[in-house]
Amino acid sequence: MAQAGLLTKLRYRFIPDHVIGEILSKKWIDNAIPFLVLLIVIAVFGLLLPNFFSAGNMSNTSRQLGEFALICIAMMAVIVVGGIDLSVGSNFALGNFTALALLNLAGWPVWAAIPATILVCGSVGLINGVLIGYLGLRAFLTTLVSLIIVRAIVDMLLLRYVQAMSLSFFDNPVWDFIGMGNVLGMPFSFALLIVVALIGHVLITRSSFGWRAMAIGGSRRSAHNIGLPVRGIVCSAYTISGMLCGLAGVLYAARLSGAGSDTGMGMEIMALTAAVLGGNSLGGGRGSIVKALMGAIVVLVMTNGVLRLGLNSGSGPMVLGLTLLFAVFVDVRWLKNRDKLLNKVYVSPTLVEMPKSRSTSEGAFALNDRLSDVEIIGLGDVESPEDVILDENDVLYCGTRRGDIVRFFPPDYTRHEVFAHIGGSPLGMTFDRAGNLVVCVGGMGLYSISPDGVVSKLTDETSRSTFSVVDDSRLRLADDCDIAPDGRIYFSEATVRYEMHDWPVDALESRGNGRIISYDPATGRTRTEVRKLIFPNGVCTARDGQSILFAESWACSISRLWISGPKAGTVEVVVDRLPGYPDNINRASDGTYWCAIMGMRSPALDVALRMPGFRKRMSRRIAPDQWLYPNLNIGCVIRFNDSGEVLESLWDRSATNHPMITSMREHKGWLYLGGITNNRIGRIRLPDADPTWSSWTDYWGKTA
Amino acid sequence: MFLITVLLFAVFALSLNNFLSTANMLSLLRSVSVLGILGLGMLVVVLGRGIDLSMVAIMAISVAWTMQLVGSGASSLSAALALGLGFAVLMSLISGVVIAYGEIPPLFATLAMGTFVYGFGRAHLIIGTDVVYMPGDIGWIKSIGQGSFLGVPMPVVVAFGMAMLIWAFLRFTKPGRFIYAIGDNASAARIAGIPVRPMLVAQYVISGAICFVAGLITATSVAAMNTRVVNSNMIYDVILVVVIGGVGLSGGRGNVRNVVVGTLLIGVLMNGMTIMDVQYTLQNVIKSLILLAAIIADSVLNPRDEQTGQQGDI
Amino acid sequence: MKTLQKLGAVAISAAMLAMGTVSAGSQEFNDPFRDPALESLRGKKIAYLPISIGFDLAQAWGGVVKQQAEVYGMEFSSQDPNWNTDAMAQGFTALLADQPDVIVTQNPDMQSLARLMKQANAAGIVVVQLNMAGAVQTDAVVAPDFIGMGEQIAKKVVEKCGAGTDTSHKVSIVQGVLTGGVSFYQIQGINKVFAENPEITVVSSQAADWDASKARAITETVLQQHPDICAVIDVWDGQGVGTGAAIKQAGLSDKVFYITSGGGAQSMCDMLKDGTFSAAYNYDAVGMGRDAWTAIMVALQNGQGGGAIKTQIYSPYRYMTKDDVRDGTCFNPEEYARILR
Repeated sequence: MAQAGLLTKLRYRFIPDHVIGEILSKKWIDNAIPFLVLLIVIAVFGLLLPNFFSAGNMSNTSRQLGEFALICIAMMAVIVVGGIDLSVGSNFALGNFTALALLNLAGWPVWAAIPATILVCGSVGLINGVLIGYLGLRAFLTTLVSLIIVRAIVDMLLLRYVQAMSLSFFDNPVWDFIGMGNVLGMPFSFALLIVVALIGHVLITRSSFGWRAMAIGGSRRSAHNIGLPVRGIVCSAYTISGMLCGLAGVLYAARLSGAGSDTGMGMEIMALTAAVLGGNSLGGGRGSIVKALMGAIVVLVMTNGVLRLGLNSGSGPMVLGLTLLFAVFVDVRWLKNRDKLLNKVYVSPTLVEMPKSRSTSEGAFALNDRLSDVEIIGLGDVESPEDVILDENDVLYCGTRRGDIVRFFPPDYTRHEVFAHIGGSPLGMTFDRAGNLVVCVGGMGLYSISPDGVVSKLTDETSRSTFSVVDDSRLRLADDCDIAPDGRIYFSEATVRYEMHDWPVDALESRGNGRIISYDPATGRTRTEVRKLIFPNGVCTARDGQSILFAESWACSISRLWISGPKAGTVEVVVDRLPGYPDNINRASDGTYWCAIMGMRSPALDVALRMPGFRKRMSRRIAPDQWLYPNLNIGCVIRFNDSGEVLESLWDRSATNHPMITSMREHKGWLYLGGITNNRIGRIRLPDADPTWSSWTDYWGKTA
Repeated sequence: MFLITVLLFAVFALSLNNFLSTANMLSLLRSVSVLGILGLGMLVVVLGRGIDLSMVAIMAISVAWTMQLVGSGASSLSAALALGLGFAVLMSLISGVVIAYGEIPPLFATLAMGTFVYGFGRAHLIIGTDVVYMPGDIGWIKSIGQGSFLGVPMPVVVAFGMAMLIWAFLRFTKPGRFIYAIGDNASAARIAGIPVRPMLVAQYVISGAICFVAGLITATSVAAMNTRVVNSNMIYDVILVVVIGGVGLSGGRGNVRNVVVGTLLIGVLMNGMTIMDVQYTLQNVIKSLILLAAIIADSVLNPRDEQTGQQGDI
Repeated sequence: MKTLQKLGAVAISAAMLAMGTVSAGSQEFNDPFRDPALESLRGKKIAYLPISIGFDLAQAWGGVVKQQAEVYGMEFSSQDPNWNTDAMAQGFTALLADQPDVIVTQNPDMQSLARLMKQANAAGIVVVQLNMAGAVQTDAVVAPDFIGMGEQIAKKVVEKCGAGTDTSHKVSIVQGVLTGGVSFYQIQGINKVFAENPEITVVSSQAADWDASKARAITETVLQQHPDICAVIDVWDGQGVGTGAAIKQAGLSDKVFYITSGGGAQSMCDMLKDGTFSAAYNYDAVGMGRDAWTAIMVALQNGQGGGAIKTQIYSPYRYMTKDDVRDGTCFNPEEYARILR
């Protein structure tokens, strides 16, 4: 086997390929293209227009942005629930007219006119909402019609009142402040926009209303079926949209004090463009305030800039059309290919040089058939019993794929019942001093079940690592646990980069994605003890009570982590060069340890592990079912001692009775076997073992 | 919708005394003929689950350019017509390609193209004012706006001819049937071996060509092409005509008959109100209220709820 | 564009050269007031912001001003809001930040730019309003006296349809944007005259928003309702094309007295000639451009800064019928459009 060169080693050691995939998988990367467009547009117009960045221009632009962005947010609000509101422009004109009419003609005070205007526009939105939400009309058509109706009404009103209105000029300091004043150096409308945007952001991302709206946009049918008040929420989205239009209308009225028949004309198209450029998808379910704001800025800067460039008449729209086409094209492509790209780059194998494995033809690992006479328990009654455990009454517990803990009763272990339902995938288990069953649940975290079957969560998150791109605070794949004499629970998390069912991909990557975590029931604190382990799996407290043993599956080794004493915090290798992938570890009756080997190494994969580029190409170019995976069909149980000597191994060459082993538990002269791909539990008598020994008494009995 | 049209027609016929006169009927038809023709183009696109917002821009710019070419003596009438039609087809071809191969949502592709076409036309094709007047000596083409055939105004004749043509195309030709298949279920159509993308392009090209015809009628009947029509709400009227007649915006559902009904409904409404002496702006309000009522009635008759509604169908 | 720039450059350098030779060669004939006057103009920035550059009036005004501006070494820039008031307000706001020396603009309605113009004046920018006066008075408003013109128009209509004529006395008025100065003031004048002639009934007075197709739709409706109408007034020939087309289509060109007004572009002459317009008031847009240029020179040379001296400049207008149309009576907007490019 060729050794990897120094350069390759350094490259895989220091260049974090996996970060690219992790960044791509973040939700905020959604905004990358709109943000890029925003930067480009600002840069281009900043260069073309001499005083684009001058304070005066910024202030003017932000004042207009205050109005326009409100309209974009209004549009976004309905787009999120899977609708569209074409009436925003007309409604804006109505708001402008109402505000001016109330102030100039009816002589209302400012404080009354503004809410009244918002109410008027809100009621237009409400009508839209009732028609679309409750009567189930098509949003596009309905708002198209309301666009025309509202526009026609505004035209009629203008015909009637506008000449009277244009002769009086409303003069009021508050009104002037709204139109021309500054708050903290920002134009009033911009300050107002910030307030609205903040409220909106919290509403969308942090409130049940926002979440429900998103859910409805994502799938209206599912939202309805899970009992969300779909109609009410859709209706309120349109109402909110209407009210925002009213607010924008007030700002416009205050700024220009002019009611023309073309006010807000074509604004629906501008707002729609902005909303989509910002990355809100038509059809719903994807949208945010930030997206709406980005879109609004791009469109405003562009229309404004193109106008100010003073091009030939026509060149402006031409540039605008081309830019819109290009931006939407890029965004569509990005959206479409992001997942593909992510799939291609997320898997980032690293260089692993596996030492030559121990021989299985002689010595402790010599093949034998000692497991071929395994007795079968609960055939077909359990699915995926990753771990098995017995209590002092000889009741046998195991987890299943369905998220249940099933227990079998002695003496013949045919009668069984669901002991408790947790959910997730219950994996490693252990009993604490009080007899509670502590369970690692893949996808959920660390749980505890009291003897009467009550489930309680112990922990499901740990402190987030400082430089980690993926959010590693949630526990994705808690795998196996054991309890230190002081009561602290040590458990392994196999990988932070993949969900449980993607464990083979983690194997392909063979990167140190896992960690050992401790949970202290006394303080309730969860702490990450060791990081960057290669699929840490089985965990077992050593006899001395000062260290824990843990297996790293893809590294084919078993290590020791000192938890107290002079070497606390250090890790040392106990057994290495295993011929297969170690899984759960448990204590044996004679002071040694059992370890399950869930699958055997293969030379082909060993070679592949030295060639990360090869594995990367493989993951990109061929279908996942054709990748090189660790073989998990056959394995064995080994026994080793504290000094790392492997004493014996138990094999089953026929692999018919109990083909695959992920765990084993010695109890009163029997060895019970669990396997994650099995539909049964196995047990075999250990002829030389102490027939009264049980793990719990052995461990807790001594100290109790 | 058909019923509503008939009902309205009956009401107006009984209550207004000169509603049924030949002159009034012809003026009714004439007033909506351009709208109807544009509606046919929109129909072809909408059937394939698209929408074409660039129709008015293409119509205005291509015809205005033709007028200008003839007016400035730069080319003969037939050459100018060919150039104008070529421009309309080229622009809609670009829309089509961008939609079919670039996979940009039609709403945006055509919106952007509409803006671009208008901008390009104003910047590079049409010099001078944004209203291009028809040269007095333009020749035979004048008659399609101002002439008449057996007493029927030419715009109506042309609209009728176009309707028959599109009807036959959709009904009897393979591409016509393909359009329905694509609108019904694009991925199934692709699997069935229909060239989905070329068909999509073809739909937009047809729509573009139809725009040019509609534009010629508009321009020759008022002796000018006002490119500012692009900024108006006209495209919404076109969409309304199509949808109000019962063509589903989600594609695959609808026929020329629907467009004809939709066009007639608008025509009958406007005409009736005109005779009843309703003011122009008020007419708009009433028109859209009746349209709203029609949409509501439609949704009561064919209810959509959370279970039956298609996701992403807005 | 390039050639124009070159031409401009040539013109400027020629002017400079001429100046130089004049001042150097003939000291005794030196005009002592010329240099300060030229100095007050040189390098000044003129920003031109009409509601759209796509129509004859704006092209003529801008064309004339730009031509002159280049002769005197001034910078001329223009923006095209394309009939969009919002965009125009945006453009104006941007100009406030740019601080040109002169803004030549045209109000879309009376209010929308009023505040901004006030701000511009306050910032010392000279503001010249063309045709459509806003609610604020600035350095100059260059427009025909629309109220007076409205009265003239109404009088012509009364002549044709008033008491003593054998007509229905019905008149229809097509307005522009209701709050636009051109429309607003003309209607005032018209109404004043009609009030004195009670036999005239105004059967319709609606707004077409400067849009020919809207004007056409409105007039079509009116003509169907009142086929016996006597006169139609449209406040601007640009949208009046639509009105005229509706009349023509209804076959009423000979029976209806259709009067409108406009800047005298070639289309006006053509329409008069072919009978689309029965008569028109021509307020000569090229002449208005010259008036605007005069206003700019006055404002820049008086040295008082923007908004110090406020003048209403009423441009002349004249009545025209088919018989007044000769070659060259009207201007060709294309020529000016080319200058503006």
